[in-house]
Amino acid sequence: MSQISEAPGNHGSLENDNAGGEGSGPLLPPPSVINLTEKSLAIRLRRDALARHTVTFGGMAVICSILAILFVIVAEVYPLFKKPTSRHLLAFNLPKDAGKPLATAVDEYRETAVIFTTSGALMADLKKGTIIKRASIPGIGGTSVVSASSSGKDSFILGLANGRAVTVRAQFNVSYPQDGQRKVEPEIDAGEPVVVDESGAPLNLTHSVEGERGLVIVAATGPDELTLLTVKKSKSLVDDGKTQTVATRLSIPIEGVISELELDSRGEEALAGTSKGEVVRLNIGDDGSLQIAEMIKAVSSQNARITVLGNLLGDRTLIVGDSNGGVSSWQIVKDKSNQLRLAKIHDFTPHSRAVTAFSPSLRNKGFVTADESGEVFVRYGTSGETLLRADSAQGPVVTLTMAPKSDGIVCVDEKGSLHHIEVVNPHPEITIATLFKKMWYEGYEKPEYVWQSTGGTDDFEPKLSLVPLIFGTLKGTLYAMLFAIPLSLLAALYTSQFMHPSVRSFVKPAVEVMAALPSVVLGFIAGLWLAPIMEKATPGFFLLPIVAPAMILAAAFAWKTLAPLRLRSRIMSGMEIVILVPTLIAAGILSFWMGGLLEWSFLGGDYRQWVREAMGLTYDQRNSLVVGLAMGFAVIPIIFTITEDSLANIPPHLRAGSLALGATPWQTAIRVILPAASPGIFSAIMIGFGRAVGETMIVLMATGNTPVMDWSVFNGFRALSANIAVELPEAPEQGTLYRVLFLAALLLFMMTFFVNTLAEIVRLRLRKRYSSL
Amino acid sequence: MSSNKPNMTPENASPQYIPGSAGGENEKKPGVRISSGNRADNSTPGSKILGEPIMEVRGLNLSYSGKQALKNINIAFLKNRITALIGPSGCGKSTLLRCLNRMNDLVDGVEITGETLFGGRNIYQPFIHVSELRKTVGMVFQKSNPFPKSIFENVAYGPRIHGVKNQSDLGGLVERSLKAAALWEEVRDRLHDSALGLSGGQQQRLCIARALAVEPEVLLMDEPCSALDPIATAKIEDLMGDLKDKYTIIIVTHNMQQAARVSDFTGFMLMGELVEFGVTTKLFQNPDDKRTIDYITGRFG
Repeated sequence: MSQISEAPGNHGSLENDNAGGEGSGPLLPPPSVINLTEKSLAIRLRRDALARHTVTFGGMAVICSILAILFVIVAEVYPLFKKPTSRHLLAFNLPKDAGKPLATAVDEYRETAVIFTTSGALMADLKKGTIIKRASIPGIGGTSVVSASSSGKDSFILGLANGRAVTVRAQFNVSYPQDGQRKVEPEIDAGEPVVVDESGAPLNLTHSVEGERGLVIVAATGPDELTLLTVKKSKSLVDDGKTQTVATRLSIPIEGVISELELDSRGEEALAGTSKGEVVRLNIGDDGSLQIAEMIKAVSSQNARITVLGNLLGDRTLIVGDSNGGVSSWQIVKDKSNQLRLAKIHDFTPHSRAVTAFSPSLRNKGFVTADESGEVFVRYGTSGETLLRADSAQGPVVTLTMAPKSDGIVCVDEKGSLHHIEVVNPHPEITIATLFKKMWYEGYEKPEYVWQSTGGTDDFEPKLSLVPLIFGTLKGTLYAMLFAIPLSLLAALYTSQFMHPSVRSFVKPAVEVMAALPSVVLGFIAGLWLAPIMEKATPGFFLLPIVAPAMILAAAFAWKTLAPLRLRSRIMSGMEIVILVPTLIAAGILSFWMGGLLEWSFLGGDYRQWVREAMGLTYDQRNSLVVGLAMGFAVIPIIFTITEDSLANIPPHLRAGSLALGATPWQTAIRVILPAASPGIFSAIMIGFGRAVGETMIVLMATGNTPVMDWSVFNGFRALSANIAVELPEAPEQGTLYRVLFLAALLLFMMTFFVNTLAEIVRLRLRKRYSSL
Repeated sequence: MSSNKPNMTPENASPQYIPGSAGGENEKKPGVRISSGNRADNSTPGSKILGEPIMEVRGLNLSYSGKQALKNINIAFLKNRITALIGPSGCGKSTLLRCLNRMNDLVDGVEITGETLFGGRNIYQPFIHVSELRKTVGMVFQKSNPFPKSIFENVAYGPRIHGVKNQSDLGGLVERSLKAAALWEEVRDRLHDSALGLSGGQQQRLCIARALAVEPEVLLMDEPCSALDPIATAKIEDLMGDLKDKYTIIIVTHNMQQAARVSDFTGFMLMGELVEFGVTTKLFQNPDDKRTIDYITGRFG
């Protein structure tokens, strides 16, 4: 550049540069070859700007796409925790002369309802709020209906004033007559009236189910008397078959009067509530006999009477409502003396007045209850939570029905006014508690964390506790890190500080190639090859951490004492690997041989049995040990290579400073190099941890994927990531399981985000401390 | 910087006070007698007792992966004297210094022949403990290299690795070392602050204190002031004068004024050879070799 100022004629602007150069004589210095024209400068600046914008755009795009992914996940998860809402769609008065409403049935689309009253049935249009038609119950003659109770979807039993009972069914015929417009036409099907009370007294309280045992009817035929009627049609090829009726009467020793009845859907158990707040559980024998199994006080206050008794879907949870407004759920659980007993599971938020009506959901363990003041609560059995208060009725609610899709409520109050309430609550089974707390599921003896998303039956309740999955992720990570951290840190320390550079130059890339192995391959090898081998060689494997260091120490000692000084001084500078590798192989062989020996002499020949008997653990072939090894194998290269880099990048003058003071290489490595490299080592471990947390294929293939909560190395586990991979293909879109899996993904995201952020913060702090090296 | 003519006091420039052994075949007895001159020094063959040599290098050749860096070096370092090694960049003066405590071992592909005697023993023999040697022959580097620890821990590091555990022993040693390095007054109130917070000159004196803390006999200084400002440099030069009473100091510098100011003896090296070695005043005022004259008068370097 100095030439420009020296050359005469070059003092002008940059454009004159060329002209000045050409015009100068031979004695002048040669013209500058650097031509800074405005054009070339502008091009350079444009390119610079282009590059800057491209890089900025790329960086922003990365950040935006990560945020977009997070947004998608959160958007899928959000509905799980959205507060349920209700909307009062419609209220209209039933005709005054139609009689007292007793029960209602609603079609799937909540378009029409059938209301059974004391004088027949009303079909109502729930959209328009009109009565479509009025019908009488066929076959009951002139008698009136005095009671009605639900016996399953759209089925009811009506107690008649003459001591008979009749089963009725509301049918909703769906047709699409024109333009694909849906038309729902209700219809009533009635069975033959059956004589229940021969004395002809009105049947005020009756209940029935129809199942394998035929039609089972239970009715209160006196203050403390129950009548059980089993009507069985024997099937015959020859004629229509005969009807066989068995009647049993039983007086139960109660203080008050029978106030409520319930039957389970199999007809095997009857429940009676009393005016003194007791619940009587009765077993129904195959022959139609009745037997008291248990009597239990089911209300908290003394003078409350039981007003509502009902089973939730699946007939394993009993809901008890009383005249004080209390609502509780009960299950049959084994007590300490191994007796089956009703045990209270939850107390729900009470009503302010006496509970008058109850209706279970036909889809899940949800239910609705209503009371004398018109309060309606939507509740969930498993979590014991009251999700929603959907008031509308004025005055006592007489009949209440949860719509078949659990998305609406139809209730009729005492004044004869029908209310149609829409409930938006697609995921009633999910609350923070069901996801993260112990839940007392049906059929369990105590509250537990359970992940079991699908079952064999329609009334199966998905158990979606994320705790076993989080536990599984942490367990897998822990075992992988237990294996990987010591190995990779020590390997990195040896490679960077002690190994001869020529050996190091191929050891490091070789370890890095390990990281390139697809994890599905690792998982495949671990599950199908390593697991059976480990099953045979586990005792030997546990000996390895003892035998290998002992052998190495012995070899080092032997080398030091036996080998000639000249040979030692020639080989022993970073080339110890020549002796180490054979020693390690020998140690491996020796420990597996000793493992076999140990198994035969001390563990009774079969270590698995010993593990079961002495330690009380079960041995799974695909267990955490295998996962720890395989996942450790995946994590080791990451931790190793970052650690090795950070150790090797410590300024050599620090190492020299320590060595010059007479420190040995080991002292230098431990006291100077390691602390100075600690930021890098910390982030290496954290990145390895993040990898192990998110690892999917290895944990999927190398464990049994059973969501157990148990620290045993001999057990498998199910990790969050593997769970997503296993269940997402089978989860219906927008369904509860689908969203819970997204929640699992969000949790994973948060875990890795947390770990990485922590790693970065700690790394920055440590780096600040060591910044001016 | 090398073009400055050394500013020397004219007295005691007598040519016969020249230490250094005359080649490998010279006297086997270490110590006592020092013959004049080396290969390049053909002055008076007679010898004069100037002191006891603590280290001697005889016929040292060094090559990095086949490339020869030191050629037949013969030199002796006298006890409680400051010896300076000068020469242009790449002449091998630092390499020679690093041979004296075997720091060249860290470099890959180094081959050394010849003898380096300390206390009459060749330090390159296999049974020599490098760790013990480096404790006795300490080193201060060109770039100050305090550990990322506190000031106290930096100084205590050496004693600790050599097995001193008693806290009060350590405290006393740290204080003595810091006082000896003329740093005590400046850091006594912040001994437990990070050493990296000190200024450049303080860091270098801390490194000297750290080296003194292991109680060495010889202190090798590899251009200790090249990264320091003149005030810090002056402090370190003063310090060297004080340390001379207890330690033997060998300093590599490319600042000839510094060599002239602080050293008792000076060796001039060029292209891996020790061109001339002698009493500092003599070397700077009346050098024997043409190349020495050229260098100290600033014709090259």
